[in-house]
Amino acid sequence: MHLTPEEQATGRRNFLRAIAGVPVVAGLGAAALARGPITGGPVRVGYIGVGGEGRVLLGGTDPAYARVVAMADINPAQLALADAVLEKGGHTTKAVHYAEWREMIQKESLEGVVIATPLWSHADIVVGCLEAGLHVLCEKMMAWDVAGAERMRATARRTRKILEIGYQRNYNAVYQAAWEGIVKAGVLGDVFLARLAWHRNGNWRRHGEPPAANYDPSAWGYPTWEHLLNWRLYKKYSRGLLAELASHQVNISNWFFGAEPEAVIGTGGIYRFKDGREVDDHIYATFEYPGGRSAVFSTVESNAFERNYEIFYGTKATLLLQGESEAYLFDEATAPGTPAAVAPTGVTVQPKGAGPALTASESRAADAAGRAATSGGATVNADRLAAYKAEVSGFCSAVRAGTPLLCGPDRAIGSAIACITAVEAVAQKARLPIPPPVAQS
Amino acid sequence: MASRWQGPALVVLRTLVGWHFLYEGYYKLALPGWSPAGAPLPAWSAAGYLRAATGPFAAGFHALAGSAAAQWIDVAIPIALIAIGLSLILGLFTTRGCQGAALLLALFYVAAIPFDGVPQAGVEGTYLIVNKTLIELAAVVVLLTSRTGTIAGLDLLRQRNVKA
Repeated sequence: MHLTPEEQATGRRNFLRAIAGVPVVAGLGAAALARGPITGGPVRVGYIGVGGEGRVLLGGTDPAYARVVAMADINPAQLALADAVLEKGGHTTKAVHYAEWREMIQKESLEGVVIATPLWSHADIVVGCLEAGLHVLCEKMMAWDVAGAERMRATARRTRKILEIGYQRNYNAVYQAAWEGIVKAGVLGDVFLARLAWHRNGNWRRHGEPPAANYDPSAWGYPTWEHLLNWRLYKKYSRGLLAELASHQVNISNWFFGAEPEAVIGTGGIYRFKDGREVDDHIYATFEYPGGRSAVFSTVESNAFERNYEIFYGTKATLLLQGESEAYLFDEATAPGTPAAVAPTGVTVQPKGAGPALTASESRAADAAGRAATSGGATVNADRLAAYKAEVSGFCSAVRAGTPLLCGPDRAIGSAIACITAVEAVAQKARLPIPPPVAQS
Repeated sequence: MASRWQGPALVVLRTLVGWHFLYEGYYKLALPGWSPAGAPLPAWSAAGYLRAATGPFAAGFHALAGSAAAQWIDVAIPIALIAIGLSLILGLFTTRGCQGAALLLALFYVAAIPFDGVPQAGVEGTYLIVNKTLIELAAVVVLLTSRTGTIAGLDLLRQRNVKA
């Protein structure tokens, strides 16, 4: 979504005015009955999967909150890179390396694990860790299929262990303020339409060398190095762009609508990159919510003009959340396009800038710019990484102090079921009902 | 002439001061830990307080902060606080407890005498010369001169045993 400078200034000013006085929801504020300090040092955590996403979470791990005791990854090259992230983050103790996560949780004295493995493995690893008595922070999407997600949710409930799903927008102060000060406060009026867009221009396919010439990942279910490297492009491991991108945004529309979608209409296909991939590179899906509300999602890999955003169109105002770091509010009377808001100079063309053409790891511009996400980078990214840090710290606080979390399985499963159903709807180019989560007593 | 409530009031005062000492000591030993709101709390150390000392004895406190004795101070202070706290609450070795309390409070006071008379960061209230540490010190002096161990407390049992 491109706005003129005047529109940006107006939108920002409106947003800030609307949220004035709203305390940022810290996520850590808990009405704990116990008083006095809670004993214990940093939470002893293990990491399972330290690829690009895992290392972002690792970089957001504050040594005051967590001691990274061990890390497991089937790719030894990732473990070496993760060591550097830990060192840079001020962690003074070295983490023990494992290839097998089961061996790690058996041998190490852990309290929790952070899981950032390919989607198809989430359910088995999460359930295994919960059964072993560990608290779990699992990267989104919740699971490859609904049965897996339900199994994770039921196991967390039965074992009474924490299961948090890594939708970092829940920990982003911009989203929290937008919810508290605008959406919940009714500033938007009645909202019937949300637009969710994640547009990129480039190839999702990754290129990289295996950690060794004779490296064989077949023991872990990947017949070749290519299958491991580009797991997102294969249906066996991935749910494609709907899981990697849409689920973030559907999680937000579920939050702001206070409901879960009842049906989804989908279309799309592999239109540009016919390179043997199995997942679509263009997807359009409309999620239908109760009360005549819709969230219209689009993702393309052929044009990055609009980047990524969520817009909520209300009868009184429009809320635009862009790139996880920018927020704008437009009153219906002065919204862009209305006579009062048109810039006197007419059409304003904004340069796209020298930003990345495509995010390599779905949701972070940091990777796409060719930098390690933990290396800092532009200010706009620093805000996003702060949300990751808040997410990991919040998980540790929940483990040690019992503070509430923001995206447990009951919340995360809604976007998972919606997006898994959307995959089928797109494949069939059809409208499919979205089943509600299984009721749990 | 003292009212009949003077004795009980002094024992209540002694108990409150004792609780203050006991909890301050316990808290320091309990760290590192976490706040109920989920924020990590680092291990306690007197070094920061000593480094921030002001007033006529500031140089001495600053030197202590950087000395080999600093690690012993970090252990001795919480233990002393707990011992004094228990002494005052239980009324056991009350005179010694009051003396120890007075000594520590005097040290705490002279390390940070409020000469500026304006609010200080991290300190509630506004003080000039007289702050709550000095008032607590005065209260302990009152307890010391009142021999509250002879009003209520385990000192009574101790004295009976001595007499027997």
